[in-house]
Amino acid sequence: MGHWKRGLVGLGAASIVAASLMGTGAALAQDDEMIIGVSWNNYNEERWLNSDEPAIKAAVEAAGATYASTDAKSSAEQQLNDIDQLITQGADVLVILAQDQDAILPAVRQAEAEGIPVIAYDRIIQDPYVLYMTFDNVGVGRAMAEVIFGLVPEGNYAVIKGNEADENTRFLRGGMDEVIGDNWAPGAPGEHEPITIVCETYTDNWEPAKAQTNMENCLTSVNNDVQAVLAENDGMAGGVIAALEAQGLSIPVSGQDGDNAALNRVAQGRQAVSVWKDSRILGKAAGEAAIALASGTPKEQAIEGIIDFVSPNGTTLTSWFAELDVLTKDNVQNAVERGKITQEELCAGVEAGSIAACP
Amino acid sequence: MTNAVSQGTPATAPGARRSAASVFRSLEVDSRLLGMVITLIAIWIAFQILVPNGLFLSSRNLWNLSVQTAAVAVMATGMVLIIVSRNIDLSVGSVMAVVGMFMALIQARWIPTQLGFGFEQPWTWVVTVLAGLLLGAAIGGLNGLLVAFVGIPSFVVTLGGLLVWRSITIILSSGQTVSQLDPTFMLLGGGPRGSAGETVSWIIGIAVCAGIVYALYSSRRRRVRYGFPVRPLWSEVALGVLGCAAVLWAVWVANSFPWPTRLAEDYAAERGLAEVPVIGTGIAYPVLLALGVAAVMTILATRRRTGRYIYAIGGNPEAAELSGINTRRTLMWTFVIMGLLAAIGAIISTARTQSGTANAGEGMELSVIAAAVIGGTSFAGGIGTIPGAVLGALIIQSIITGMQLMRYDNSVVQIAVGVVLVVAVGIDTVARKRAR
Repeated sequence: MGHWKRGLVGLGAASIVAASLMGTGAALAQDDEMIIGVSWNNYNEERWLNSDEPAIKAAVEAAGATYASTDAKSSAEQQLNDIDQLITQGADVLVILAQDQDAILPAVRQAEAEGIPVIAYDRIIQDPYVLYMTFDNVGVGRAMAEVIFGLVPEGNYAVIKGNEADENTRFLRGGMDEVIGDNWAPGAPGEHEPITIVCETYTDNWEPAKAQTNMENCLTSVNNDVQAVLAENDGMAGGVIAALEAQGLSIPVSGQDGDNAALNRVAQGRQAVSVWKDSRILGKAAGEAAIALASGTPKEQAIEGIIDFVSPNGTTLTSWFAELDVLTKDNVQNAVERGKITQEELCAGVEAGSIAACP
Repeated sequence: MTNAVSQGTPATAPGARRSAASVFRSLEVDSRLLGMVITLIAIWIAFQILVPNGLFLSSRNLWNLSVQTAAVAVMATGMVLIIVSRNIDLSVGSVMAVVGMFMALIQARWIPTQLGFGFEQPWTWVVTVLAGLLLGAAIGGLNGLLVAFVGIPSFVVTLGGLLVWRSITIILSSGQTVSQLDPTFMLLGGGPRGSAGETVSWIIGIAVCAGIVYALYSSRRRRVRYGFPVRPLWSEVALGVLGCAAVLWAVWVANSFPWPTRLAEDYAAERGLAEVPVIGTGIAYPVLLALGVAAVMTILATRRRTGRYIYAIGGNPEAAELSGINTRRTLMWTFVIMGLLAAIGAIISTARTQSGTANAGEGMELSVIAAAVIGGTSFAGGIGTIPGAVLGALIIQSIITGMQLMRYDNSVVQIAVGVVLVVAVGIDTVARKRAR
């Protein structure tokens, strides 16, 4: 029993070594080829697999270059090894989705030493060497608040935030403040301010059921006197809406992600807005920028729309922000046109003709 | 019969001075359970004072609290048996998620679209619930098989399960939320329409009350028949009155929470009523489900062979095995039951959020274990009660809801729950040492 097990482990190890040797050999053999190396932090996440990677790959291959990728499986240490391996393979540009923005810095230094441009994809790497390409998360918060504030310019707001330990939660909240910041005052309802934030809670793991409980308790505490809810994503918006509807309330609620369930709610008029980050746009742009960088274009001109962005620790980063889709009942058909959701799914339970998307 | 009565000696000698301690002794209530009830009441009174406007003990908040506790309470009753048998199940949150997602897909995609039956078939929810229970039991059975028959430690098996079932949930749904659930199914999650209403709630309350009286009576008769000591009659009466009062009070609270005005207006419009009625909400369906589960599990744990075997195994596995208990099969059943309860938790949670979500129940295993442990379940095995676990779940949710109403931040709330967990077990441990 012990023998064959040990034999099997040995065989496995040998084949891994052989495979990596072969991989390296193949890459070294064709050094004239343009290689775009992509280091994913965790390929298992549905989004990277289904939206981002195909978009990057398509853009890279359309330019006749080779796409090479690694998966760090959520390990910062593994990611350093992965990047070593991509450099060894002869990558001309590195696209990195960092597991940890600090632990990744040695890899950035190494790439810089080798003269390989680096794109920080989706997640920030606070180092002036990189080209930072992402969605504007502050912009998402701003867009949500703009829609809700447009509908409810005065009254009581509830803010249902995401995970407390998540930097994104604060970016979103900061964006909301850019819209309602001058107008809101903390404190008890009834103060003579146009907007009063009567409840503001974090939600463990962005979990809808917890958001629902938070919203129920909020409604209890102010006896249903809430006119609008800023929920930081669509899943939580679902929980919030369930809590509101149990009280017979129908008020504007925000969300983000372009969840199909949320888009359906937008079409039904139960959710005011879902901000959709179409990661195919980001992926395509990153692929094209990578090709430009590999051909020697300086990063300031790698793609149209580059700006300087001052990061949280004060570093000025050459950055590019992908456009957001702010989907409300007036333009939710964009999601159908772009193949995000089928007409049938969008319009399930929607009164025919009530919005343009569902004739 | 009269002869038998004379054999039953009262636990307290008549005429003895009734100190508080002897009164409790005569009630013969599990002291730990009594301690928990007192703790819960103390927490409620404290929050009633601390929360502005006396909102905590309002019918609305208590009703919310009951629904918010339901899913964790259901799963905690199973966790008691798991921990009693000296095992652990870390996978319950993920199992709840995968079953919830499975049920969401059945009713929102597979039956209406893939199979072409369309939405709002009257039988959709029945098929969905049965399929969910089946999946839960099967996953529990797999866990049980690996633990009891292959001999892998339950910590390892269910830690693996935690990862595997969460990932399968994500794959099943491609990370998306699945909504458009069956309207009947969603009633199982509560809400004004997902509640029993005034009349039914009163009928249930009175039935439960009658059940308590009957249980006390039949237990007394049985004790008398076998010549066991019985409680003094006054203590039987006191228990009956207190039990009934608690049940009827709970029904009264649930009934005095009126439907929100706008829903009542909709209701009046539907029925063509000229005047908008005041409708008492009554006990929510998920709460009835949880109470039913707690009752069945209590009977299983205390009155059925499987339950007693589980306690025997937890008390001393070797002795249980030597005395001829089929320990493997019993453990297997424990995990099957846990799987079933995770599925019931999934029914409540999915119906309540009105959608299947990929991150449902993340970290729930910890709340469930905490509820069981605060409820007096011991990791040493062999000790733990079902009502204790339900009370444990209620205590945790009371703290969370109360502190939220006081507008504390989530992290402060988590600190409070953590401290209460350790203090509760600490007091229990010290008390048990002293009793020895």
